[in-house]
Amino acid sequence: MMNAQQQPSAVTMPRAESSPAGRRSRLSSSTAARIALIPAALITVVCFYVFVGWTILISMTRSRLLPVYNFVGLDQYKRLFANDRWWTAMENLAIHGTLFILGCTVIGYALAIMLDRITRGESLFRTVFMLPLSMSFIVTGAIWQWLLNPTLGIQDAVRDLGWTDFVFNWIVRPDRAIYTLAIAGIWQQVGLCMALFLAGLRGIDPNIWKATRVDGIPTWRVYTNIITPMLRPVFFSVFVLLSALVLKSFDLVVALTGGGPGFSSDLPARFVVDHILNRQELGLGAAGAFMMLCTIAAVVSPYVYYELRTPRKEA
Amino acid sequence: MRALNASVGLVSAVLLGFSAAAQAQTAEVLHWWTSGGESAALDKVRAAYKAKGGTWKDTPVAGGDNARAAVVNRMIGGKPPTVFMFSIGKQLEELAEQGLVGDVQDAATTGKWDAVLPPLIAKVAKYDGKYIAAPLNIHGENWMFYNTAALEKAKVQVPKTWPEFITAAKALKAAGITPIALGGEPWQERILFNSVLLGVGGRDHYLKVYGQLDDAAMRSATMLEVFKTVAALREFVDEGSPGRKWNIAANMVMKGTAAFQFMGDWAKGELVAAGIEPGTAVGCALAPAKDKGYIMTIDAFAFSNAKDKASREAQKLMANIIMDPAVQIAFNKSKGSIPVRTDVPSDSFDVCARLGMETLKDPKAQLASSGLFGLPSAVSGAIDDAISQFWNTRTMTPEQGRALFIKTIASAK
Repeated sequence: MMNAQQQPSAVTMPRAESSPAGRRSRLSSSTAARIALIPAALITVVCFYVFVGWTILISMTRSRLLPVYNFVGLDQYKRLFANDRWWTAMENLAIHGTLFILGCTVIGYALAIMLDRITRGESLFRTVFMLPLSMSFIVTGAIWQWLLNPTLGIQDAVRDLGWTDFVFNWIVRPDRAIYTLAIAGIWQQVGLCMALFLAGLRGIDPNIWKATRVDGIPTWRVYTNIITPMLRPVFFSVFVLLSALVLKSFDLVVALTGGGPGFSSDLPARFVVDHILNRQELGLGAAGAFMMLCTIAAVVSPYVYYELRTPRKEA
Repeated sequence: MRALNASVGLVSAVLLGFSAAAQAQTAEVLHWWTSGGESAALDKVRAAYKAKGGTWKDTPVAGGDNARAAVVNRMIGGKPPTVFMFSIGKQLEELAEQGLVGDVQDAATTGKWDAVLPPLIAKVAKYDGKYIAAPLNIHGENWMFYNTAALEKAKVQVPKTWPEFITAAKALKAAGITPIALGGEPWQERILFNSVLLGVGGRDHYLKVYGQLDDAAMRSATMLEVFKTVAALREFVDEGSPGRKWNIAANMVMKGTAAFQFMGDWAKGELVAAGIEPGTAVGCALAPAKDKGYIMTIDAFAFSNAKDKASREAQKLMANIIMDPAVQIAFNKSKGSIPVRTDVPSDSFDVCARLGMETLKDPKAQLASSGLFGLPSAVSGAIDDAISQFWNTRTMTPEQGRALFIKTIASAK
């Protein structure tokens, strides 16, 4: 606003004309801003709201291979809720989500504290922990698929060393396969969390440490009672970032287990893609997609509420 | 006069140029044959097409599901490939209903396809009385491949019935050999299941279940027997099975670490690629069964609804190449399948293929995999889900498996 007001005086113009010209340029600059925002607004409206609306519409039809508009009400949702595979996928999302977010946060924070305290080789460790992040979920999935395969990977290697009773076959056990997904996911994303926490720790005022030392407070108490509460915003960012990764996780499960054994490690995103593209169940897939949106909304709306409220309080 | 000559010359030059352009028939071919054996087989078709002056633009997409999805997406997006591999059945029919598929009736009339194709295949390759797909081969799904050395080591014969198989598998397990090399993907588990369904239930039962989704047949004691047999097979598979690809499983049989693989005859392509003559170190037989039956799957190429002349010509040329007897022989020998043309001599094929061709001579033995019976892909997908869930949930009893099978199909219909 300041710039727009200053502009007329900078332009060399006869004094008599300066005032209307100034108003005109102020007007046009705000119009220009609005015009400039039109494409972005259009893209948001079309790509988000229109498509969401269209998906909901499709979910109420009998569409199979191609979209057709013969409405059947909530039939597709009834079918979806009667589908074992869907509930397995939702349950897996909950298990994977909790483990992945908790694991990444706890381990990432522990690593960050460790790096913050050591004086030597920090850059080496940082590189090591950050390295998995440079790989895509597909590559991560492929690596862990080999490592976890009982006849090729860790189990086989340990047995070759002499522990012939060693068992680590989670990836082939329907009741455990979902945990391998969390292992591979944490392995990949923990570096990112570590980096964020490390940045947070480095931002702590050194005087606080000096003061705690003067008071003779043990280090672990400083971390639990003083530093961790101070890092609340960082924890929050990490949580939001990881939640987004969990909800859209698709490629990792495709590469790691293919949803198997059977469909025991299926996730909603894979269920939806599978039904829309491979099974020609466009309607059912759309219903699943809308349920995913509802899940996301349930998780994200507290965050949005928080975000919208805080700045106003500060202002 | 000279001017006229010149203009005639010019016109004919332009025409020549035009026809030369039309001669260079460019076909974009989308397919999912990416493994060693598969791509070697497709090379035979590609070479024949190029020899006839066509230009082949290759678009391989790994995985049948992915490739079919790619085709549908590109059709909806308005840029379909000229020629695409597709399974004949309900899905192609649905595309045809929406006017997205072109026909090659011209080529079929000239080539007298009706006279040379088995009736079942001729029926399903047509939509509205016109051929919309050119079938390339017949694959049998209910094959059983075995490592002869492994069988000798465990002193067992090639089993003829499922109870015999279970006895043999116990002996193999005792000898330290994995009895069944199974790739743990739902479609592979279905192939094993279908072999048992045909083998224990017989042809009539198989037809009732997959051809009509007959409720009484699915609730019958025979069906329970099928699930009991499948449940008994669970312990004969090694730990590494889930997620394994079929060609890795085929490799286990070649190496002798596993004895049997239940797989379509495309596994022979892998044998040939590895330099093994089918019927020697790795033998083949139809899966144990009450009565003879050949579960057919057909690989076919379909044609997008192209409007321009050049693409139409390219499609016609492709249709002719696919049904060319010499191409059929060369291709099928390499792919491990058998020709769709019934007038092709069988003497140059391997033992397994000859057995397949012999079996198919009996019209009653001509069975089909679920897609060819016109099951919607939602239903066949649901069948995969049910079978896979039953196979992988060791605690599920045969009774529960049968109930799950019925319930899953009912909800997908």
